[in-house]
Amino acid sequence: MTLKRLALAAAVLWSPLVLAGQESPAPPAGPLRVHLESSVLKLGDWAKMIAFAVPSDPVASQVAVAVERKEGAAWVVRFTGRGEFEGQNDVFSCPAAAGGSEAEAQAAVLQAVKLGLMRYVSKSPLSGRVSISLLDQVKPTAVADPWNFWVFSLGVNSFLNGDKTYKRQSWMGNFSAGRVTPDWKVRLSLNGHSNRDEFSFGDYVYKSTAHSAGFSGMAVKSLTDHWSVGGSVTVNSTTRQNVRLSLNPSAAVEYDIFPYSESTKRQLRILYRVGLTNVRYREETIFDKTRETLWSESLSATLELKKPWGTISATLRGQHYFHDLSKNQLEVNGEISFRVFRGLNFNIDGGGSRVHDQLYLAKRGATLEEVLLQRRQLATTYEYFFSVGFSFSFGSISSNIVNPRFGTGGPTSISIRM
Amino acid sequence: MTEAAGQGRRVEKEPGMSRFAVPLALAFVLAFGPPAQAGQAQPGPADINGLKKSAPKVYLDCSSCDLEYIKTEITFVNYVRDRKEAQVHILVTTQATASGGREYTLTFLGQNEFAGVDDVVKFFSNKTDTEDEIRKSLVKSLKLGLAAYAARTPIASRMTVSYAAPPPAKTGKDKWNGWVFSLSGEGFFSGESSMSRSSWGTNFSANRTTESLKIRLGLSGQFNRERYEYGDETIRNRREAYSASGLAVFSLGAHWSAGVSFEAKSSEYENIELGFRAAPAVEFNVFPYAQATRRQLRVLYRLGGGPVRYRQETVYDKTRETLWGQSLSVTLDVKEKWGAVSVSGSGSHYFHDFGKNRLDVFGSIQLNLIKGLNAYLIGGGSRIRDQLSIAKGTASLEEVLLRRRQLETGYNYFAIFGLSYTFGSIFTNVVNPRFGSAGGGGIQIHID
Repeated sequence: MTLKRLALAAAVLWSPLVLAGQESPAPPAGPLRVHLESSVLKLGDWAKMIAFAVPSDPVASQVAVAVERKEGAAWVVRFTGRGEFEGQNDVFSCPAAAGGSEAEAQAAVLQAVKLGLMRYVSKSPLSGRVSISLLDQVKPTAVADPWNFWVFSLGVNSFLNGDKTYKRQSWMGNFSAGRVTPDWKVRLSLNGHSNRDEFSFGDYVYKSTAHSAGFSGMAVKSLTDHWSVGGSVTVNSTTRQNVRLSLNPSAAVEYDIFPYSESTKRQLRILYRVGLTNVRYREETIFDKTRETLWSESLSATLELKKPWGTISATLRGQHYFHDLSKNQLEVNGEISFRVFRGLNFNIDGGGSRVHDQLYLAKRGATLEEVLLQRRQLATTYEYFFSVGFSFSFGSISSNIVNPRFGTGGPTSISIRM
Repeated sequence: MTEAAGQGRRVEKEPGMSRFAVPLALAFVLAFGPPAQAGQAQPGPADINGLKKSAPKVYLDCSSCDLEYIKTEITFVNYVRDRKEAQVHILVTTQATASGGREYTLTFLGQNEFAGVDDVVKFFSNKTDTEDEIRKSLVKSLKLGLAAYAARTPIASRMTVSYAAPPPAKTGKDKWNGWVFSLSGEGFFSGESSMSRSSWGTNFSANRTTESLKIRLGLSGQFNRERYEYGDETIRNRREAYSASGLAVFSLGAHWSAGVSFEAKSSEYENIELGFRAAPAVEFNVFPYAQATRRQLRVLYRLGGGPVRYRQETVYDKTRETLWGQSLSVTLDVKEKWGAVSVSGSGSHYFHDFGKNRLDVFGSIQLNLIKGLNAYLIGGGSRIRDQLSIAKGTASLEEVLLRRRQLETGYNYFAIFGLSYTFGSIFTNVVNPRFGSAGGGGIQIHID
């Protein structure tokens, strides 16, 4: 308690510092003041064509632009920052087509000036009001690619941890080859995973291992802006689900209610799949099988929306086997994050399934250790998870000050994607 | 290169791997013909596909960005998957802002043909900005920064810059004097026939951040419940923890800071009924704090302590005591073109018995030194000689397997490492959402 008082005293002692000025003057919000020296462009002409800038004398200007013509060569545009932009300079030659008319050359220089000024616009309040775009639609595949869009990747990952009573080792490896173009998507991958845990309980040491390995291949052909068809093959082996080897070829067709070209904003995809599973079990199942070959079908609908108010992602999926329609599964998954008003956000994430198709369950029961560590899939008729969160903020909620001292304010983030 | 032949042959070379799979896959490939022609420029208006070939090659170093959206919205550049192939390498780094939002720093580094052409563009997000708002701001800033590179290539002729008149100016008076209050809560529930788990927690914080002073005050509670069925037996577990904390940090120039922190907590896992701790501290950053988003080397010394009351008598026969100690920690954070490094080490001991001490190291290194080869290593370890709060008596098997309470140990460690080598096409311009965008067998790790 005395310490608390001490802390308070320290805070009070230093309090004059709190009041020390921290407001920095906002930069002027008007158009960019540009001084242009050019024998090519007339002052009156360019000012009319660059809406975000105004002509200025050299003293008051924020940027000086000089346009020169190198002897018999391209135009050179030179930008010099002044005032708050002191030290920010750029120079490049204008890639105007040779042999064009004088008017074309002027237009090209003007374009170069506009784009070159963006460096300064990006650091001024104008940045929010300027937009840059390409006039034409262009094919993403319009590049010179000797590999013809094939990408191959090989990866190994490992996770180890432990202390005196607990040790864990996890290894993963994968190889993938893929080719994605607007017309075709082809993906092949091989992966393996191995996991080992060791617990000490007095003299008793409990060891547990789990493995899985698999291959998957998929080819999807684009038909129209709404339809696609594809086929896939998966081969799998896993200890958790009692599968020694399963082979699962399937064919599928997909319809997107919205055009695929809007996929980053909205998708409602309906996917129908029919396939065959040939499986050999590790241990005899509760249905007295050691191997079987079964046909099944599935239908799923996936909605993905990203709007200014939030994001929705949801999937509904049903599937059944043909040999016994009661062996089925219904699954729903969803994630919603939305903002009620500035300051209040909600996040909901959940999923549930009704499970009536656990054909792989082994006759032998699980041990207590296997149950607690979830080392084996157990009989169940349902599964669910649900999480909900909210965040309500008020006060100075648009302050952009960064203070990295003592580390808590600015955590370094490291992201790894392989 | 004509692709049709290569693709056709590839498929036909896989006969009879299984009775079902290949014929089906074959049927599909054959039915729908050879895959797409590699981008042959269609001589259209202004031959845009021809211009695109010489557009700037960009490597976007940001795995938390919505890359598909960026690729759909910014089409005047070519995206490549390896930094060495790029003409522009864009590093995206973020830092927390006073309001709980983030400051995004986009560092544009020109390479190869554009060596020496560099720029830095920043934008800010608010705590409650949605994904869509953040990705729109990011695209806007990327476009502004990329304009200077595009201006150097022929595609500039087909770009347009438009300008919207300014809206009426808003008044910028802050009646909250920089204070930001935040209340948050989250709950997580999962289960099946033989088990169920739930956890929920709540947090309240009041923060005020200026360049000269940072104040953080927080309250939090965390609750966990678990149930497992085993035969006729039902195993139940519960765990609760509460804490209150405060921190005030004063800025003393570009390299020095001084501050004071306090914490009060109660934790079943740690056998602590109630513990208080107050500690003044001083920090030196070898690099100026202004460069913190790209590099930091901070040395922090802390001196403090306080009273603690245990839930059960400890292995040292204590039910309460007052502990004083000191700690020193060193943290290095660097983000460069070739990767990112974050390393920290810290040591602490109690004054009443120097043998009660602890040493921790943590490191995270991500490297891309050779074209196509990515490697990462994240690891940490502790030498622990200061477990003063461990309760007497032995833990049950369930408590051990579920790691329900803190156990006596002399050390702990973890390590995650990975290697990946990628070759083939360097371009990643294409966005193809059909049958879902989820990748095949990748791995993604985020540390904040």
